[in-house]
Amino acid sequence: MSGGVLLQAVVSGLAVGAVYALVGLGFTLVWSMTRVLALAHGDVVVAAALTAVLVVVGRTPVASSLGAGRSIAVVVLALGVGIALSVATYVVAVRPFLDRAHRSEDVLGWVAGGVTAGLVVRTALALALPAAAYAVPDPLHLDALSTNGTVGLPGGGTVPVRVFPVLAVALLVAVGTDLFISRSRFGRAMRAVADDVDAAALCGVSLERTVLSAFVIAGSLAAVAGLLDAPGRLVAVDSGVTLGLAGAAAAVLGRLGSPQGAVVGGLALGVAQQLVALSAHLGPGWAAALPPAVLVVVLAVRPGGLRSGRQAAVE
Amino acid sequence: MTTLAQDLYLLLAAYGLALPVSYAGLPVVGQGAFVAVGAFGTALLAAHGAPLLVAVIAAVALATVAGYLVGFAATRLAGASLALATWGLAWLAYVVLVRFPAVSGGSQGIVRPVPARLVSPALGVVVSLDAWVHVLVAGALVVLAALAVRRAASGPWGLDWAALRTSPVLADSLGVPVQRRRRALLAASAALGALGGAGTGVLVGVVAPADYSPLLSLQLFVAVLVGGTATWWGPAIGVALLAALPSAADGIASAAGIDPLRTQGALTAGLLVAALVLRRPVAARFARLSARVSARRPARVSARRPARTRPSAGADVVAGVVPAPPSAAGILALHDVHVHYDSVRALDGVDLDLRAGEVHALVGPNGSGKSTALRVAAGVATPTQGAVTINDAPAPASGSAAARVRAGVARTLQRTAMLGALPAATQVAVGARATERTAGLGWRHLLGTPSADDVARRRRGVTARALGAVGLGDRGDVAAAQLDSAEQRLLQVARAVATGAHGLLLDEPAAGMSKAQRDRLGTVLRRLADAGHGVLLVEHDMALVGRVADRVTVLAEGRVLATGSPDDVRADPSVRRAYLGGTALPVHSRQERQPS
Repeated sequence: MSGGVLLQAVVSGLAVGAVYALVGLGFTLVWSMTRVLALAHGDVVVAAALTAVLVVVGRTPVASSLGAGRSIAVVVLALGVGIALSVATYVVAVRPFLDRAHRSEDVLGWVAGGVTAGLVVRTALALALPAAAYAVPDPLHLDALSTNGTVGLPGGGTVPVRVFPVLAVALLVAVGTDLFISRSRFGRAMRAVADDVDAAALCGVSLERTVLSAFVIAGSLAAVAGLLDAPGRLVAVDSGVTLGLAGAAAAVLGRLGSPQGAVVGGLALGVAQQLVALSAHLGPGWAAALPPAVLVVVLAVRPGGLRSGRQAAVE
Repeated sequence: MTTLAQDLYLLLAAYGLALPVSYAGLPVVGQGAFVAVGAFGTALLAAHGAPLLVAVIAAVALATVAGYLVGFAATRLAGASLALATWGLAWLAYVVLVRFPAVSGGSQGIVRPVPARLVSPALGVVVSLDAWVHVLVAGALVVLAALAVRRAASGPWGLDWAALRTSPVLADSLGVPVQRRRRALLAASAALGALGGAGTGVLVGVVAPADYSPLLSLQLFVAVLVGGTATWWGPAIGVALLAALPSAADGIASAAGIDPLRTQGALTAGLLVAALVLRRPVAARFARLSARVSARRPARVSARRPARTRPSAGADVVAGVVPAPPSAAGILALHDVHVHYDSVRALDGVDLDLRAGEVHALVGPNGSGKSTALRVAAGVATPTQGAVTINDAPAPASGSAAARVRAGVARTLQRTAMLGALPAATQVAVGARATERTAGLGWRHLLGTPSADDVARRRRGVTARALGAVGLGDRGDVAAAQLDSAEQRLLQVARAVATGAHGLLLDEPAAGMSKAQRDRLGTVLRRLADAGHGVLLVEHDMALVGRVADRVTVLAEGRVLATGSPDDVRADPSVRRAYLGGTALPVHSRQERQPS
């Protein structure tokens, strides 16, 4: 692999990884608040982007250019759908299976709830959007930053110009979320709940409100990830699951429950995936298999990655 | 006929999945991946010239190994990692099939001639595998699998699974090798799944990626969920529902002009939702019902004998449970144990020992490190520094309580919430399993050997004696959730006693008990010590401590403040300071008001 290709892989990998980081951040946030895996999180990402486009542009979205009004509408709608779906998943599919009073949980129940929520979202989307894949217009007009939408890199490689703003926006949002969690009063409440549900409740933290707001944040992150990711490629209804698995892999790589870990894990996974995709021996097939493979292998080799404070404290 | 054979193969995969999901409560959502390994493995190997039977066996073996390895993702406590790993596996398999045509034959799949033929040149026999033969083979396999699952569930494995299902923490504390059981269950589940996949592939003659999408994993998962918990007929009901799906989906799809695969997805989602909606109320109703039923008649699993034993509670009964310990001296010792969490020193150089025949009380203000000391002794907390010995030998590595139970130290859990709907005698029988050293006991039970029956008889005896030792001899058939809170605490002690461990670590066994109940507990503890047990008692109730303890160790801020007889410790000024915050309060302390 020549230096130019290497640079191209790293730059585009960072942009892909930044999206994974946003998805993984939501995933990790949900885990630390509820000790539940957001198995439908990737579907929320794709559903947010596709639903917004579906409503604003119509059933046959094309990569057309959107005016200012419709661009804003897409962004607002995506955020709304992302938040609504994330919260709805929690209320309908997860909460009924958590019994905080007894600290016992119905694992089979919430796993089934999560995969059902994902399946319902995918099926509903597929009924509305029957084609195999869609090109989604970009409400942020990131391609317009250069004349032909690409940028030449030193060494001869080229990358789409959008990777730079995608990387910048995703990292800004990720860092902002992390700061919000570590600095704000509300973030303190969230960390208190993540650390010890009972103690937080005794200190006057409203448990339900805090957990719900974590799902609101996860939903917004999902919407941002969808808006950044979807216009760059063809989006199929099922790509939500693969994106969700990549986010989960990012979160697990960075040790589940750690926001910074999810961001670092996402960036690392994105770069690794692009390196594999551009390598002469491996190619895109292997790149597609990388996130779920990483997930399975990391969980099997280092299952402790899922162990966190509260799990140990359960006795 | 082909459809029937196909459904039977699917049922085989569902029986496999029922092992981890409905018997052990593990969230496995990737059974489709193992089915795919069976189908594509067989097709690929056969395409490369392997004899059909060899190809099937090799593919099933491959899936078994894969299932075993995935079992490593099941951490001791968190079922969540297993759900994530298997869901990842389902998609990994699908991505590989779609992206690598060399493996899957592309979207058309790998095609073989149908009906397949089994050729044995040595015997000169050629068997043509038409649909009828498949129905017979698949039917026989399904019946065998169902019988084996049912039989295994009634034996020692079934006890371990029931404990796992109720609570992995509880199972671990009773000496169940949690990790080993999980890996074995996943390997067996993968094997049956792959067998079903191989059968379907050979039957239909085409294996294409679209048939092995993660939707298959979800469908098998819902089939097992619909069937309920630990029933041998459950998967059959679930698969019968699934079998109706494709035709219903095709009907709706052609009527509404939608993709049939999506319609199947919608129907699967509907089934999952139904299973979920039914799950909570039905489970609760079932628990109540079975509790009521089991209150009237003896429960199934090894609970019969204890019901008929007299509820006697003499020291001789206890002595029958516990042989004299190998050395009269140290059952358990902590040597200079430190436990540091970041800057917090939960334990800061604690020395502690427990001898046979004594009740050793561990007291101290909240946060003084009592429970941490107990957790270190039980092997569920790892000391930052220091050592633990059991019977004067180094204790097994910490991380799981099960190994410590077998070495001779068992603990009770502070909370009783995880007792569940299992009958009391069943729970005690799980503990009694820790004393069994017969190799391959589960297999022996499966085959019904006399040695397995002997062990089961012995287990019933141990169970009855342990229940008798705490005075619950007549409560063996009652679901633990139906016992009153004091009886639940006593049941915890009985479970620990049944493990045969000499050292009993009891974490606040008197919490929530009335005066009369505490007296009863005190008598039980005293008798256990007199019979040769060493009892390490973490307790707040100083009256109880004063009455039963031979020795008292006081912890404060992670250090041993004082140790000695209850009277000596009570007179120690530093202990008074620790308890009363240094103020001179010469009023009646609780110790002075207690009956001696």
